[in-house]
Amino acid sequence: MITRRQFVRRLGLSAAVLPFLPALPSLGAPSKKPVQRIIFVFTPNGTVQPDFWLDAAGEFTAETKMKRILAPLDPFKSRMLMLKGLSNKIRGDGDGHMRGMSCLLTGIELFPGNIQGGSHSPAGWPKGLSIDQELRNHLQADAATRTRFGSLEIGVNVPNRADPWTRWSYAGPNQPLAPVSDPYDLFEKLYGRMKDRESLGSVLDEVSEDLRAVAAKLPAEEKAMLEKNATFVREMERELREDGGRRLRHAPPKLEQGVPVDNDGMPKVTAMQSELLVNAIANDMARVATLDFTNSVGQARMRWLGIDDGHHQLSHDADSNTASQEKLVKINTWFAEQLAALAKRLDAIPEPGGNGTMLDNTTILWTNELGKGNSHSLDNIPFVFVGGGLGFKRGRMEKYENEPHNRLWLSLAHAFGRDIKTFGNKDLSSGGPLALA
Amino acid sequence: MMRFRLTFVLGVALSPLAMGAVEETGAAIFKRLCAGCHGRAGQGVADKYDEPLQGERGVESLAKLIDRTMPDEHPEKLDAAGSRAVAEYIHGAFYSPQARAKNNPARREPARLTNRQFRESVADLIGSFLPPTPPAEGRGLLGEYFSSDGMNKKAKAAFGRVDLRMDFDFGEGAPQEGMKKEQFSIGWNGSLLVDHTGVYEFRIKTPNGARLYVNPDLRDGDKNSRDDSDAKRDVAMIDAWVSSGEQVREEKGAIFLLGGRRYPLRFDYFKYKDKRGSVTLEWKPPHGAWSVLAAPHIVPTSAPRVAVVATAFPADDGSTGFERGTSVSKAWHEATTKAAIEAAVEVSLRLGALAGTRSDVVKLKEFVAKFAARAFRRPLTDGQRELYVGRHFAEGVPPEVAVKRAVLAILKSPRFLFPELGAPDDHTAASRLALALWDSLPDAPLAEAAGKGELRTPGQLGAQAERMIHDPRAKAKIAEFFRHWLAVEFADDVTKDAAEFPGFDAALVADLRRSLELFVEGVVWGDASDWRQLLLAETIFLNERLAKFYGATPPVGEFDEVKFSPEQRAGIFTHPFLLSVFAYNKSSSPIHRGVFLTRNIMGRFLKPPPQAVEFKEEKFNPSLTMREKVTELTKKAACQSCHTTINPLGFSLEHYDAVGRWRETDGKKPVDAAADYTTPDGEVVKLRGARDLAQFTATSEDARRSFVRQMFQFLVKQAPASHGADTLQKLDKTFVESGTNIRKLAAEIAVAAALLPSPRPATASAR
Repeated sequence: MITRRQFVRRLGLSAAVLPFLPALPSLGAPSKKPVQRIIFVFTPNGTVQPDFWLDAAGEFTAETKMKRILAPLDPFKSRMLMLKGLSNKIRGDGDGHMRGMSCLLTGIELFPGNIQGGSHSPAGWPKGLSIDQELRNHLQADAATRTRFGSLEIGVNVPNRADPWTRWSYAGPNQPLAPVSDPYDLFEKLYGRMKDRESLGSVLDEVSEDLRAVAAKLPAEEKAMLEKNATFVREMERELREDGGRRLRHAPPKLEQGVPVDNDGMPKVTAMQSELLVNAIANDMARVATLDFTNSVGQARMRWLGIDDGHHQLSHDADSNTASQEKLVKINTWFAEQLAALAKRLDAIPEPGGNGTMLDNTTILWTNELGKGNSHSLDNIPFVFVGGGLGFKRGRMEKYENEPHNRLWLSLAHAFGRDIKTFGNKDLSSGGPLALA
Repeated sequence: MMRFRLTFVLGVALSPLAMGAVEETGAAIFKRLCAGCHGRAGQGVADKYDEPLQGERGVESLAKLIDRTMPDEHPEKLDAAGSRAVAEYIHGAFYSPQARAKNNPARREPARLTNRQFRESVADLIGSFLPPTPPAEGRGLLGEYFSSDGMNKKAKAAFGRVDLRMDFDFGEGAPQEGMKKEQFSIGWNGSLLVDHTGVYEFRIKTPNGARLYVNPDLRDGDKNSRDDSDAKRDVAMIDAWVSSGEQVREEKGAIFLLGGRRYPLRFDYFKYKDKRGSVTLEWKPPHGAWSVLAAPHIVPTSAPRVAVVATAFPADDGSTGFERGTSVSKAWHEATTKAAIEAAVEVSLRLGALAGTRSDVVKLKEFVAKFAARAFRRPLTDGQRELYVGRHFAEGVPPEVAVKRAVLAILKSPRFLFPELGAPDDHTAASRLALALWDSLPDAPLAEAAGKGELRTPGQLGAQAERMIHDPRAKAKIAEFFRHWLAVEFADDVTKDAAEFPGFDAALVADLRRSLELFVEGVVWGDASDWRQLLLAETIFLNERLAKFYGATPPVGEFDEVKFSPEQRAGIFTHPFLLSVFAYNKSSSPIHRGVFLTRNIMGRFLKPPPQAVEFKEEKFNPSLTMREKVTELTKKAACQSCHTTINPLGFSLEHYDAVGRWRETDGKKPVDAAADYTTPDGEVVKLRGARDLAQFTATSEDARRSFVRQMFQFLVKQAPASHGADTLQKLDKTFVESGTNIRKLAAEIAVAAALLPSPRPATASAR
């Protein structure tokens, strides 16, 4: 994660390559091939299985109603695909949480290392890259699908320490990618310091006013120097006025200022990150993204739902503790609402140069570090697809018998035209891609 | 153009007495024989001789030159007496520095903040709202050692100690008996002292876990090193927390820092069930080589974060020999804007600590008003208060945004960027003192003294300057001056032929630079602070590597002051760093050394070479000495006008090879370091080598005045004459009376710059 301050530091160090007014991406010519995009969404601590899955696999009917957790996704039912029975079968070093998060997108073991979980042997970073980066590299290798960033790693309240509990996207062995968890930082990454530049516009006005007052009383030579300076101020004002995002297909969102980036700010931060993400992909800055809520063993306290307990703490409580299970359902339902809001945003934007909406060409994949919190099980991990573009048959729930999730990543790779035989652990790739079409 | 003509008329008008029956005046001769090519006022004529007739020769020397060479191709047309008359005339009319000063009286040029002044001012402006950084005491970092328990890295405190070198190999054991071998952690805290402004690189090497924080904004959560803690903390500059098998990993980071300041530094380390435990923290300062971070650069007490503006600025105008803020450009405007944004972000992030509140609008307005007054170096008028404070806190604007906008407006205001706007008043005096000695804003005592009208007499100003000179910022600025005077700032890439000089590598060059800086620092901040010591000293600072390379007895400590033979060496002139900088890859370079001595030390003006001549070693007979080659190369008349000065000075250092080692022979022939140097007044000085050169310089009025002038220009960013035609003379007199005391000179310069002709009341600020 980059803080604003760190960004500033970097800015300073590499100022030569970062002009003050960044060139914003121009309108790309619409590609002939249909655009494919994918957004991986992570939430922690497992789900409440009975309130998540439908009672039976198969195609949805008009009568099919989602269970409580997924109810917010009902409007997208026809564009949904639920995969039950997939398991993260990576073993070796690291506890369930570490492997749950860091082996989720990578499908490969962790190196031995010095990070000790609640059980098992200590471990380090995973031994390979994650599927989002595999897809990113594939798209970036082709000029027709290449975008400014390739992929965006976005977080919501991800702690700013780097370890296998806080990272899930990897550029390669030992190469964790830090998500940007502060929407103001993300804004800067995408659009430069536009917000500060907006402030600057009004400020420069005042400076000009005072410049005139001061210059009026000065001897000629000093006056000349100030007047020269005043022309630069005016030029910058004009550039700021003219630049306001006109080269973008979609103008940058107007972020509410001063939102605290902390636990209680989470609902607002989520909305901001989601808006920025949609805006960025609508402007074709990236076609792959990850969005992670907190971290493995994340301790969000969803006080806005009337829940004061930490999420991870609750997830340890027994199935028989109905009060806790109820809270966990509420928490996961809240996550589903955020997913629905994201899908809705994408569905509101027509696909440029194509048919349908952006959601029709964007797959949102919601997954989790665990199947179930209190057992720390890596079996039956939730995998829910919303959206389209991958050619998968939707409007159904598929049931597998404890298949390794590596096969799912192969399916994704193939859907993107990346014809690989294995991903991550070779043995767990056996059987090849799951047939989802 | 106008003034040349006037001067000419004046020259004629003042010479009636010489208008005897037969003798033609110098002015008349010049008009008749010289003005055709040189112009009537010596301003030059296009396509003839377009350079103005200006220089530093005395009348005597000028007369000889004219007699020998002028008129061009027909020197017989002018005899010795006529040549002398012309020399006297042009010397007084336009040639000499005095004549030029008279014709074109210097005045303070309007100036904006230089880049250094901008950065220093912003750091102090924001820093003025935080507790002051106490003087650094002790060296090393305070290490707290813990036995760990799984995720809890600080389960049991074992012991604490000050560590001097950040290089540890615990093997398969524990740091101390009684601690757990397989899991322990260490937290080092303290601060970092840096000398130079620039980019500092750091790297961690460890098979275990470590995180480095340099200049962080320390928060409550920082001490928490539980692995699963979500406590808010600053982002590590280098995060190498997660190990990968037994591999020793290397992680790097970099940060821009201002020299002469102290920065908080924290370094966390842990080992957990890895086979071996070891950790090394290395750094690479600007101009330095990679080395283990160690004392004396680390201090065991912390310090508040420094607000460093890291924005890159376009270079200041250095065309007159010193950097000054006399021009504005679009690039500068954009850089200051970006820097203002950077500072505004810093202020808004740390608002709680700076203003004591993030939401109380009354308090925040008060904070912004103080911020503006300090930035503008004077109290605010009501109108300014409304413009820079009140207006930003409008209805519906979140207070944090209002503060950010206000800070932007203040730092973009001409009142901040142009410190000399309007009629000078008591606050101008405070501002000038602070700029001269610190390149920064007045501190609270200065502002208070200005407010009370107590910065009007030389005594009052002197007392403030004396107080200010002991501040680390003065030390940093004076160190910058010496880097400038000794041309060290340009010496970035000193490489020598590896076969010829094995061991002369980047690390050795960094040591040499440090050795020179230690020497200068020792003289300047020693009791006598005597300028002549810089020239005459019989010691040099050596560490083990340097001692080995230069054939001296290796010292015990890191750097030690070692005595050398006074016959062989003398002060800065024979410091191997300068000798190496002003030398070729394989051989000495009397020309480079001579130019440095002529310009920087003797303060003489050199015109650019009339024709570009490249020194090509291979074109010469290899049996020739370097002196013979240079003599041959510069023998043309066109070269001689400057090389008669350059060469003798350069030749006096011929006993030192390309890396500054003493030598008796150059190739197969003995070194000849004897040379005759002619002063601007025509006096011939016999130099037999470096010691003679040093002794001559130490007694040379030209060299001394040149030093005073260069220091004035560096500190004040204006010419001395802009503060009165006799400023240089007066300062030189006090300098001599003080026993050529460098520190006192710096203070006197600041006083001279700050002393206003007729002090105005402080209320003059209402403009």
